[in-house]
Amino acid sequence: MILTNLDARVKLLMLVAVSSVALIIQRPLTLAAVLLLTLILLLAGGVDRAKVWKQTRAMLSIIGGIFIIQCVFCRAGLPLITIGDFTLVTTGGLQMAVVVALRLLIIISSALIVLTGEMRDYLLALRWCRLPYEIVYMTLAALRFIPLLRDEAVSIYSAMQMRGYNIKSANWHKRIKLYLAMLLPITASALHKAGQMSIAMETRAFRCMPNRSEWRSLQFSRGDFIYTAIFFVLLIAIIIFIKQ
Amino acid sequence: MIEVNKLTFTYAKNALPVIKELSAIFNRGEITAVTGKNGCGKTTLSKLMTGILHPDCGSVFIDGEDISGMNLFAIGQRIGYIWQNPNRQLFCPTVAEEIAFGLRNKGLSDVEISSETDRYLQMFRLAAKKSAHPLLLSLGEKQRLALAAVLSLGAPYLLLDEPTGGLDVRCRRLLGVELQQLAERQNCGVIVISHEDDFIRRFCARKVVM
Ligand SMILES: Nc1ncnc2c1ncn2[C@@H]1O[C@H](COP(=O)(O)OP(=O)(O)OP(=O)(O)O)[C@@H](O)[C@H]1O
Ligand SMILES: [Mg+2]
Repeated sequence: MILTNLDARVKLLMLVAVSSVALIIQRPLTLAAVLLLTLILLLAGGVDRAKVWKQTRAMLSIIGGIFIIQCVFCRAGLPLITIGDFTLVTTGGLQMAVVVALRLLIIISSALIVLTGEMRDYLLALRWCRLPYEIVYMTLAALRFIPLLRDEAVSIYSAMQMRGYNIKSANWHKRIKLYLAMLLPITASALHKAGQMSIAMETRAFRCMPNRSEWRSLQFSRGDFIYTAIFFVLLIAIIIFIKQ
Repeated sequence: MIEVNKLTFTYAKNALPVIKELSAIFNRGEITAVTGKNGCGKTTLSKLMTGILHPDCGSVFIDGEDISGMNLFAIGQRIGYIWQNPNRQLFCPTVAEEIAFGLRNKGLSDVEISSETDRYLQMFRLAAKKSAHPLLLSLGEKQRLALAAVLSLGAPYLLLDEPTGGLDVRCRRLLGVELQQLAERQNCGVIVISHEDDFIRRFCARKVVM
C-alpha cells in the first residue's frame, strides 16, 4: 500500500497521534522507537528516501543547536563532563537534549506523512470533522500563499542589490533597515492579493449556496483499515512495552 | 558584448529543462529583441543572464567576465534589469524615492540626487505622481517608474522583460526612441524581450527567436 493513496483522514489522525505521543512521552527509548516507526511508515509507503533526507537536512542545524543548548543549560542529574571545577554537561541535561531532538525529528517526519497527499483531500477530511468550510478553505489557501510571498521577497531583495545596494558592505543597522523596507511592499501585496482573491472567488460563486456539495468523496477502504490498525497496534505496543 | 554559452536550465519542480543548450550574443550599441511564444523561457533566460537563477550548465559572459563568480550587486553595475512584473521591483514609499534609491547608492550628493530625480520624473512623465506610493500607480505608470529607476543607474547594458506591455502608443514610441539614443550615443547594449512585431521592426537591429 502506498502512502499517497491512503485516506486523508487516516493521515491526519496519524499526524495528531504521533505528534501528541511525542509531546507527552519523556522516555528517550520510546521516542526513538516512535521515530523508527514513522520512518518505516514513510519508506515503506513509497516516499522517496532522498526527499526525506532533503527535508530533514534543512532542519538538522537547528536541531543540533537546540541539542547543545539543552545539554548545557539543563542542570539536573549527575555531572557527565567537567572542565576543572565546572560541570559542563549533566546526565539530566543530556537526556533532556536527546528527548527534545527526538521530538523535533518525530514531528518533522510525521509532517512528511501529510505532505504525501493532495491539499483538496485534506480539505474534505477537515470538513468531515465538521469544521466550517470557509475556515478550512481559507486556512489551506493561506498556506498556498507562503511560497508566493517568498518568491516576491526574493525578487525584491534581488532588485535592491541590482540597483546598487551592496549587502556585503552594509552594517547590521543598515541591513535591518533594508529588511524593514522589504516588509511593507510584501505585506501590501499580500493584502492586495487576498482582497482580489476574495472577489474572484465570490464571482465564481463561492458561498453562493448554503450547503456545498463535493465532486470527490473520501472512501475508507479495507486497505486503509488494515494499514491504520497495524500502525496503531504498533504505536500502542511501543508505548506500553518499551520502558527504560 | 554579452555572450550566452550553451545554457541549460531546469526548474526544481520540473523534469524537463526549460532552456536547453542555448547560445546567443548580444552586442553593445544596438537593440536586440528576444521573442518566442508564451512559456518558451524568455523570462527564465533573462534571470539566468542576471545571475538571479543559476544554470545547470553553460555560462554567461559580460565583456568576457563569467558572471557565475559575481554577486547581484556586481552584476547590477553592468546590467540594468526590468522584471516582467513591475510590482516585484518597487519597494520605496514614494515615486521620487524609488528613483533616488539607486542614485544614492551610486554615492551622488543630495543636490545631484534631487536634480537627477527630477530629470527622470520629467522624462517618464511621472512628475505629477512624485509623492504617490509606487504600488498605487497604474500598470503603465509602474512600468515607467521601474524604467526610470533602472535607466538612472547608467549601466552599460539594459535587459528589459516586456517593457511595452502596459504602455500606451505614445509612451511606447518614446521608450523606443530613448532606448535607440542610449544605444547609439552611449554605446549601451539594450536587450528587449517583446512580443510586439511593430516595436521590433521599428527599433531593433537584431532579433533572437527562442
Ligand atoms: N518558478 C518556476 N517553477 C517552475 N516552473 C516555472 C517557474 N517559472 C516558470 N516556470 C515554467 O518555465 C517555463 C518558461 O517560463 P518563462 O516565464 O521563462 O516563460 P516566458 O517565455 O517568459 O513566457 P511569457 O511570454 O508568458 O512571459 C514555463 O513553462 C513555466 O511554466
Ligand atoms: Mg516572461
